[in-house]
Amino acid sequence: MRWRRGYLRVVRSSFATVPFYRELWALGGHTDPVLLPGKAAVDGGAVVPSALTGRVGDLVPLAGGPADIDPWRGLGPVLAEHLAVTAGALVAVVDPTTPRPPVDLPEGVRSCVLDPAGLGGAYAGVFDEVANHLRRGERVVAVGGDKDLDQLAAALPELLAHRLTRAPVRAPDDLPSPVGPVALIAHPLLGVLGALGGCGRWHLDHCRVYLRATSAGAAYTLLRQRSPRLVDVIAGSGRPGLCPRHGTPVVEP
Amino acid sequence: MTLTARVHDPRADDEPSGWAEFGARCGLHAVWDYGLMRLEAWMSRNPAVLGVVRDGDRIAAAATVLICRPWWRKPRYASTPTTRTACGWPRWAEVYTPWLSGYPAVVFDPDLTDDGRRAAVRAFERAVLRHVGPGLMGITYSPVYADTVSVLNRPLCRTWRNDPTTVLPNEWSTEDDWLATLSKARRTSIRRYARKIDRDPTLEVREGWGRTDTDPHELATLINRHRARLGGLPRDPRTAVAGAFLAELLRRKDVRLLTYRDADGTLLAANTLLDHPSSIVLQHWAALAPAEGGRHNLYFDCYLRCVRHLISAGRDELTSGRGLVDVKTSLGFRERELHTVAVPRLAVGAR
Ligand SMILES: [Zn+2]
Repeated sequence: MRWRRGYLRVVRSSFATVPFYRELWALGGHTDPVLLPGKAAVDGGAVVPSALTGRVGDLVPLAGGPADIDPWRGLGPVLAEHLAVTAGALVAVVDPTTPRPPVDLPEGVRSCVLDPAGLGGAYAGVFDEVANHLRRGERVVAVGGDKDLDQLAAALPELLAHRLTRAPVRAPDDLPSPVGPVALIAHPLLGVLGALGGCGRWHLDHCRVYLRATSAGAAYTLLRQRSPRLVDVIAGSGRPGLCPRHGTPVVEP
Repeated sequence: MTLTARVHDPRADDEPSGWAEFGARCGLHAVWDYGLMRLEAWMSRNPAVLGVVRDGDRIAAAATVLICRPWWRKPRYASTPTTRTACGWPRWAEVYTPWLSGYPAVVFDPDLTDDGRRAAVRAFERAVLRHVGPGLMGITYSPVYADTVSVLNRPLCRTWRNDPTTVLPNEWSTEDDWLATLSKARRTSIRRYARKIDRDPTLEVREGWGRTDTDPHELATLINRHRARLGGLPRDPRTAVAGAFLAELLRRKDVRLLTYRDADGTLLAANTLLDHPSSIVLQHWAALAPAEGGRHNLYFDCYLRCVRHLISAGRDELTSGRGLVDVKTSLGFRERELHTVAVPRLAVGAR
């Protein structure tokens, strides 16, 4: 299957060019695909996020590349697919930690970043922009944790708060039965991995994200991010599945 | 004398029998440890393989050889040895130790005559040719000492002189004796830096053999950053230093790690010293640049500490590789000539 072929390509190329995975798999092994016959691998060669602390430089291929982790990577394509976000919309990322706006939004979509603690202070200007956008009847999609979105909504006049499209994010280890119609799966290292589909299943952004089950949990791979390379990063305990309605890969919590 | 030669790929082949005994006989440094060579080979673009020449069962000569891909190709680690077969892609072989820039990578049994050495070289080169296949463009030996040039040289070969390595012969019984031979300015400055470092409460200096208290990846990052800042060698056959290799190296009882840390724990500078019965090696020196928060003059403190070991342990010499010859000369180091011998494909294995 094409999805799997993309993953195999990333694993082989990471073994051949990325210091972190070279070290991990040459010494520790990797299964499925087996890179070195006869070498048993711990957790199939998957890696826990804490093992990447301080090692981001080693995730850059030998030929060089960026070493920045973008916690909102993949936001654009997922919003475009699941929330039909198109030109003219404003995407407001509500996040007390993020230093920069998302970079992969569809053309014509604007974005801003808000710290929910600074709506009346440092972020007052941005907050006004969000409110004005809503007042004009234009679409604003707010992305963030439930509590952060609540804070933003509470700061808006009630009428405007109702117009806000909320896209709450869930960690891959926290995928409960859905409470609302919209939710995204996001991870601090891996970025946005997928979203809740209309079918009620957690759909993966399968063009960019691969999921594999290992003994240590769900291992995610970014199929298109060349650098820093993220392969088989453990996050949560979901298993890959196929949506019977859409025929595309989902995470089964 | 019947010589046989074989190339061992440390990633796939077992340690050659008698390897440790040969290492002891020829006084090889820690980096010739087969386990370390295995780690090095896995983490290399141009993996070092070990050529071993035997006279009967006994090892008579050995060489570490980097099998190099053309430098213009996109950088990648070497392909896995199980899938490697001798192939037609262009490769050349550098007889070179990636970890010791001032020492030859070809070593002969001390009892081997010059004729024996020539025969061993021929057997070795043919083994390299078999290992690499028809794509082999040539073999360079770099560096070698002057007395080996005549053993390696033959028609079609080219030889030239390299930058020299630096050597401090031990002619003293105390540290003060050594300091007394330096210029007054150098002597005073070394003492002043040492006092200043000693009294600086914001600086943590630690040295020790076989240390396991330092994150090897942190050290690797510092070394690679230092190398990158100095610009590296053109067509450098080496790959960035890997933490996995350092982890194993530092664990050895004959490797001393010296670290300088800031009050907040930032690794400012580090040095590895390889012990040896006669020729000890100031191997890595890496430091943050002052612009990155690094400190001045730790370099001289590091040399003082290495010379201290040279004298107190009664070793014959301290070597400190190539480069910065002026500074090293001011510390009493002398130059040792190094040469390169380049053997084109047509002369490989020839008399
Ligand atoms: Zn579905």
